[in-house]
Amino acid sequence: MDTNSWVVLSASIAFSSAVFGGTLAQGKAASVALEGIARNPAAADKLQTPMILALALIESLVLFGFGIAFLILQKFAVVAAVAH
Amino acid sequence: MKLLSLLVLFFSSSVRASGGYNFFTNASEMTQVPAHTIALIFGSLVFLVVGLVYRLNVSSITNAVVPDKGISIRNIVESLGQMMMNTAKSVMGEESAKRYFSYVIFVFCFILVNNVMGVFPGSMSPNQNLNTTLALGIFTFIYFNFQGIRAVGFITYMKHFAGPMPALAILIFPIEIISISVRPLSLALRLRGNMDGDHLILGIFSELVPYIVPIPFYAMGIFVGFLQAFVFTLLTMIYIGMATAHHDHDEHAAHH
Repeated sequence: MDTNSWVVLSASIAFSSAVFGGTLAQGKAASVALEGIARNPAAADKLQTPMILALALIESLVLFGFGIAFLILQKFAVVAAVAH
Repeated sequence: MKLLSLLVLFFSSSVRASGGYNFFTNASEMTQVPAHTIALIFGSLVFLVVGLVYRLNVSSITNAVVPDKGISIRNIVESLGQMMMNTAKSVMGEESAKRYFSYVIFVFCFILVNNVMGVFPGSMSPNQNLNTTLALGIFTFIYFNFQGIRAVGFITYMKHFAGPMPALAILIFPIEIISISVRPLSLALRLRGNMDGDHLILGIFSELVPYIVPIPFYAMGIFVGFLQAFVFTLLTMIYIGMATAHHDHDEHAAHH
């Protein structure tokens, strides 16, 4: 494998592992919040805001992974330009 | 007729979206101004026009308590304002909510208009570029620090960072400073990543299947745009609330 293939592979592994962790965490947060709502439906309004906040904070880490994957792919463009 | 034009809008393929080619990149090639700047100017104009129409509507109304019939600009603006006011009251408390509401609602409406712009075919959201979102994040950073210093004074504001125990202050102070300095960057990256990722997905799916299949992604685009505007505003409110909170010693004594 040449350098370009490694760059593409590392970008996809970086993003997919970030998404994997993020989905596990978001699934746990959403399931606990739904459990709380199911036990006490009157608390749905109060649970909604902290749940959205937690989901957003988890999602931001996944998006950092997205950004890093983009940075790696830009390196791919540089490598491709040097190869030409 | 409205329904027909909406259907035409949805069924027409926005194949070019994934290639990064739209009105604004076209205009930026002609004028040598970056595309996100043109998009931001356009979004600000839309924002201004909606605001002016709302002001005109309100000024010609005799009974302000009775809402309009059906979906009008006034009803949309007022329901959004009501929602944000209720959230602000539950996050910051009654008095702070009224005092800082002007900034909070500006951030919410501005980001919402700019996010929803990305859903229209052949258009882009200015929030897809890190420069726009970082500017918003830095404004929030300056605002909550300024309001925090104004509310509790510089010395007390710095004491917030030192933690409750004087012995540990030398350890906690640098950590707090770092975690606060990172806030504008994390706000900016979250908004930019969400909007860019959403537009990318929309573009990829409309390139795969140009008709019908992308419709759920348009719906998701509107939803994500709304949610991200809400999250940005919610975090802004939390930061303002934390910066302007009064940590008096009497209060601690009352708890014990």
